[in-house]
Amino acid sequence: MSNYRKWFAALPAAALILTACGGADEPAEEADASEEPTETEEAEEPEDDAEAEEPEGDAEEEEEAAPVRADADLVIWADDTRAPVITPFAEAFGEEQGITVAVQEVPFDTIRDNVSIQGPAGQGPDVFIGAHDWLGQLVSDGVVAPLDLAGASDAYLDVALQAFAFDGTNYGLPYSIENIGLVRNTELAPEAPATLDEMIEVGLASVEAGDADIPVGWQQNDPFHNYWVVTGAGGYVFGQQDDGSYVADDIGIDSEGGLRAAELFGEMYDQGFVNPDVTYDVMIDAFASGRTPFAVTGPWALAEFSDVDYVVEPFPSVDGNEPGPFVGVQGFMVSSFAENELAARTFVLDFMGAEDAQLELFEAGGRPPALTSAYEQVQDDPVVAGFGAAGEDGRPMPAISEMGSVWEAWTNAYTNINSGNDPDAAFQEAADQIRELIGT
Amino acid sequence: MRTDHQGSGRGASASRPAGPGSGGTSPEPRPSYADRLADRLGSGSIGGLLGKLLFLGVVNAGALYAVMTLLPMRAWAPLAVVVVATLALDVIYLSKRTLPMKFLIPGTIALLVFQVYPVLYTGYIGFTNYGTGNVLTQEQAVGRIVADSITVPDGATRYGSRPLVDDDGELALLLTDPEGQRFLGTVDGLTELTDTDVVGEGAATRVVDRFSPLTLGEAADREAEVLGFAVPVTDPDALDEGERGDAISVQTFTSAAVAIQRFEYDPATDTILDLETGTEFTPTEGTYTAVDGTTLSPGYRDVIGWTNYERVLTSPAIRGPFLRVFLWTFAFAVLSVVSSFVMGLGFALALNDPRMRFRRVTRSLLIVPYALPSFMTALVWQGLLNTSFGPINRLFNLSTPWLTSQAYAGALPKFSVLLVNLWLGFGYMFLITTGALQAMPDDVKEAARVDGASGWQILQRITLPLLLVAVGPLLIASFAFNFNNFNVVFLLTGGGPPIQGTLTPAGHTDILISYSYRLAFQGGRGQDFGLAAAVSSIIFVLVAIFSWIGFKRTGTLEEIN
Repeated sequence: MSNYRKWFAALPAAALILTACGGADEPAEEADASEEPTETEEAEEPEDDAEAEEPEGDAEEEEEAAPVRADADLVIWADDTRAPVITPFAEAFGEEQGITVAVQEVPFDTIRDNVSIQGPAGQGPDVFIGAHDWLGQLVSDGVVAPLDLAGASDAYLDVALQAFAFDGTNYGLPYSIENIGLVRNTELAPEAPATLDEMIEVGLASVEAGDADIPVGWQQNDPFHNYWVVTGAGGYVFGQQDDGSYVADDIGIDSEGGLRAAELFGEMYDQGFVNPDVTYDVMIDAFASGRTPFAVTGPWALAEFSDVDYVVEPFPSVDGNEPGPFVGVQGFMVSSFAENELAARTFVLDFMGAEDAQLELFEAGGRPPALTSAYEQVQDDPVVAGFGAAGEDGRPMPAISEMGSVWEAWTNAYTNINSGNDPDAAFQEAADQIRELIGT
Repeated sequence: MRTDHQGSGRGASASRPAGPGSGGTSPEPRPSYADRLADRLGSGSIGGLLGKLLFLGVVNAGALYAVMTLLPMRAWAPLAVVVVATLALDVIYLSKRTLPMKFLIPGTIALLVFQVYPVLYTGYIGFTNYGTGNVLTQEQAVGRIVADSITVPDGATRYGSRPLVDDDGELALLLTDPEGQRFLGTVDGLTELTDTDVVGEGAATRVVDRFSPLTLGEAADREAEVLGFAVPVTDPDALDEGERGDAISVQTFTSAAVAIQRFEYDPATDTILDLETGTEFTPTEGTYTAVDGTTLSPGYRDVIGWTNYERVLTSPAIRGPFLRVFLWTFAFAVLSVVSSFVMGLGFALALNDPRMRFRRVTRSLLIVPYALPSFMTALVWQGLLNTSFGPINRLFNLSTPWLTSQAYAGALPKFSVLLVNLWLGFGYMFLITTGALQAMPDDVKEAARVDGASGWQILQRITLPLLLVAVGPLLIASFAFNFNNFNVVFLLTGGGPPIQGTLTPAGHTDILISYSYRLAFQGGRGQDFGLAAAVSSIIFVLVAIFSWIGFKRTGTLEEIN
């Protein structure tokens, strides 16, 4: 009789002990503390829709372990779209300077949290790409280093520089800007609507005529896709100082203009123009099959629209004002826990600020470059020009960390309006909740 | 929870040991050397010994790898745990006298590492301010505050720069001002250069016949030195008069400028001094704070006592919707377990009847909802239940707001969540009740039938009590799981529709875990791990209490048996 049978039996015994003592509560708890933070953005930051298109991808990311710094002198973290573009530049830089470089592919949505966690642990990158509205978290965590653009600052679009300035200090080298615009089906709506009222009229008419299923493909209950109406009506989310920086104390959701926007949304709901059931997928479906005259969306959706004739243009005026959507800016940032700060800064400023790098990043990602000279070169592309014009009056998405309190409350306010509740009260309540959340 | 149960299932089948090498039981007249060795090392056969050595080899190799990883990180506590646990395993499995421990120790170690440690650690995090703005250690935070305060003032002259080095390793900078005038910058100051001072190009450049260029690779090796290298530019006479000394320092490998430092750290008093205003900042609960309340960013991780727990229990913003959310969580968990148990049991009873046809196929099909990942199915249900475009409403020509109705405290969305959770959960209940029913002896039922009991009576008086003994603990585990069933709620309704008139955003279908998730990660100023950990610990205690009560109740059942 061999002893190792007993040994074998020890395995299930171990499993049993685990099961018996394990209960079901702890796993959920661990998940709560360690994994869920990454979801915040997927759920709340609509500008990441491009990445959110593949739900499978997101599910996998959650299982993925945190990325660990590669073994090289200069380590760059970028998503799978930009990494291949950056790699040749990084290699050229490494060769020129006699150092080793590594470009690691890290899912875009997870870069922010991983930099915050892995950076201080000594496992973070030297350089990473990211969105400007991450700065609130990154700066207060102390994981991103100021970047002195020096004489180069005039070379970038104003909105891009404004976006990467946090508390008056620049923290990144911008490479692309993105914002939503009005995508119009030229068959169903041959003329660009001049006003919001006109847009509503055309939309409703084409549904009535049976040409369309929904008057507009406009993801609802979503502060990001609704913001242009708010600015058009004279409202705002946070007040801005002269240099464009946001002030957390001044919440404009229940300002006069904000409440006017609420009223407009109430009217649009009553008329049946907007519908809370229109999700991203419904919007894509309807516009791609030519069953809605308008889509309120960004460059990330266009790949789906190949079967319809469309133009991209600025939003129609609201109450006679030109509306401006939120503008997101992406850029290169240097970790404050970079092992090689000097090489990191040099690479970012000398290589990624160059025109050819910015143009290649544009070709890969489809977002207009932030370098003015590169931006001007791509203006003959009507789509780029269209989104550019739509974003001309845009405001950089607030990067201050207080913005984290806004999404949920404001989304709820739109949900309330789109359930037939009083618009004024809905916005008022959202503003009060945000004040409460920021205050605590 | 799922994996736990599957794990125990697999364990049960694996406990029927068999396999190659187990046949060597025939008595041998004289044990060979190998067998004697095996015997001394606590194994009965050479095959067993090899298996054991292989196992211990893997364990030790893993431990060695962990030690190599932890050593440079100076993580002494985890290091000690790994070393002690590995040594204990080695001793126990190589010794003959520790038989009971061989069965207990793997489970105990796993229990400590995977269960006890996370619970204690979560509790500990609840006592800290860990979260956005407080992720660094104090040392790191001070380093950042000082380093980030070094900035190039507006309008400062920016030089093109090239770090140089002489044969003794002394650093210098070759600087070019915007007009193209070149300077040599050394620790002694700036020297204007003429064209004859710089000879050659690129890597072969020689400056004043002493310095040659430093490559970036070389600069990277002595980075602190290069970044800290300063070329004083203030007139020494002005310095004597008390003016601040400005210096040119490297900004990138190719540029340099005068930079000004604003904050200075004094390690003796642990204070940070603002060189511009003279304000002093002292460390207070994770942040350097001045007397007037201004704080410096970033803060650092610090133990802040009961603050997080107090916030959960006393802050009006959190407490406001807390009771409603708690009641709904409790109702959700109980109703989910009861409904899926009843449905699963119903199917199990029906399919346990030999008169049913296609039993195997039907059983397999019934498990499908449980076998699919709930991540996917919850999202699919969200689409199915969409008011305007969902197939369900279209099929029946309805416009029922399944997931969005705010009427009657969100009764309809609550119902939908329960329905979807029933769909997800009954397969599991079906599985375990089928197993328990098949294990039940038929003779008891037979006897009851002979005594004239009706089918309903048999079910009520015999089958159910016997069944509950077997599946009772699983029902409790299922309750605990559903109490924290974040996936279904978050993916189906996101906690919505919103409750109107609350102080903080809360939804009608929010359960405790989704509500606190929002509080900790989508409210305030970013992520608040401390608060999240405090809520988690409270939930843990609640679930532990419920489970304990539940286990006591099933204990009573067993006594009846």
